[in-house]
Amino acid sequence: MNDQWTDRLSEYVDGELANGERNALEAHLATCAACRATVEDLRHVVARAQSLENRPPKAELWSGIHARLTPGRRPGVNARSWRVSFNVPQLIAASIALVLVSGGGMWVALHQRPAVVAKFPPVPGSLVQVSNDPYVWTDRTDAAIADLQGVFDRNKSRLDTSTVRVVTRAFATIDQAIAEARAALVADPSDAYLNLHLADTMRRKLELLRRINAIATAQT
Amino acid sequence: MLTTIAAAVLATLAPMQGETDTTIAVPAGASLSVNNFGGAIVVHTWTQNRVKVHAEHGSRGSIEASLSGTVLTLKAGSRHGAPSVVDFDITVPADMALNLSGTYTEIEVNGSKGAITAETVDGSIDVRGGSGNVILHSVQGSVTLADATGRIEVNSINESVELSNISGPIRAETTNGDVTLWGIKSSSVEATTINGDVEYEGTITDNGTYTFNSHNGDITVSIPENANVTLTVATANGDIDPSFTLPFTGRPERHRYTFKLGTGSARMEAESFQGDIELRRPAEMRERQKDKDKHEEP
Repeated sequence: MNDQWTDRLSEYVDGELANGERNALEAHLATCAACRATVEDLRHVVARAQSLENRPPKAELWSGIHARLTPGRRPGVNARSWRVSFNVPQLIAASIALVLVSGGGMWVALHQRPAVVAKFPPVPGSLVQVSNDPYVWTDRTDAAIADLQGVFDRNKSRLDTSTVRVVTRAFATIDQAIAEARAALVADPSDAYLNLHLADTMRRKLELLRRINAIATAQT
Repeated sequence: MLTTIAAAVLATLAPMQGETDTTIAVPAGASLSVNNFGGAIVVHTWTQNRVKVHAEHGSRGSIEASLSGTVLTLKAGSRHGAPSVVDFDITVPADMALNLSGTYTEIEVNGSKGAITAETVDGSIDVRGGSGNVILHSVQGSVTLADATGRIEVNSINESVELSNISGPIRAETTNGDVTLWGIKSSSVEATTINGDVEYEGTITDNGTYTFNSHNGDITVSIPENANVTLTVATANGDIDPSFTLPFTGRPERHRYTFKLGTGSARMEAESFQGDIELRRPAEMRERQKDKDKHEEP
């Protein structure tokens, strides 16, 4: 995973390598499954970003996020010219950010209360320049988790009390895992594994909240 | 002909002393959708193009059946507003696609050769068979799947997830519970839990991708010494315990190590924050399982 090409994969995906370098990298990709997988992941993130751009805006959410996604650009500018630069440790963080954006649309559709969307967390900086600093992206994810937790708190009366108890215990399990990962990161903030593990654990909390909220919403 | 059949079943089936028994002819390629608020859905298979329904629902309950196009839908009816608790025992054509759902519902499928979607909130899911997309979700119950082929997506929240004798890409996940994968033939496996162990015994296919992740539990993976895999293992507070020497490659990191076996064409990540990473030869895994089975025998 950490060979001489790792830091060039993003440029490759963006089509920014010179011909000679591109040929050399493609020769390397033919023999390196790890880099191939990373390239696939990067392309997936780029594709997700581009598909998000093509969605019609929902309420006022999209224009604000769009402006932050594309600093110096006005909404409506073709996203295919974005340069999406991630290094490998940032990849999951970027994925989380994209989940947050797409989840915002789902949230609005689900609850049809656009005014509440203003509570969706502000996006500090550009999504396509995900910070190395875990505190930047975790703030954003924390806010999204808090929003979804609020939805759960409002809807949990639709669920059986034993289900609420089980789900609450699951949330507590994940929260404990997040707290432990955060504590480890304080001691070693640049550790790639710890960053990825924290990001992945927070993503799981988001996904679980979404799943439970969908189940609660479906109960009548 | 089909119109006649549809008309025949577009009705609330008359219950007899708290039970309903009926058999409905279905066209080839038909699918079955069952929604049951509480109780059980048990599905068996046979070779006939008919669906046989036995339902126990109490004297005030009823069953609603409708055949629309190629979709046969069974629902528990309610006579006084409150949803019924029904135990369905259904026999279907083996290749019939199944869409089974409920809230307080146990779901069991035996011998299916079709696609299966099963979702419940408070109940276990136990499936033997299935092909194509096999998607099993429970919140509070365990999920067990055996002898399936296809794209597998299985998750629980509060219980274990257990897969055996499976072919095809797998995604298995829980929050509080173990994830156990045995007899797997797949080039794409993702198994994750927060508070539990992950165990994998299966193929490591060239160019495949395998991800095993836990926060609190151990990861135990079967790896043949002659596998072609680039293996990344990581733990913050646990140990890395391989049964054989692993050739270290890559840049050293504090918590993460990369090893390359053979050509390294497959990619495997085994990571646990608190737990150990155990890498075992397949024969060792089987011995370990035998020991476990012995201890579990009554």
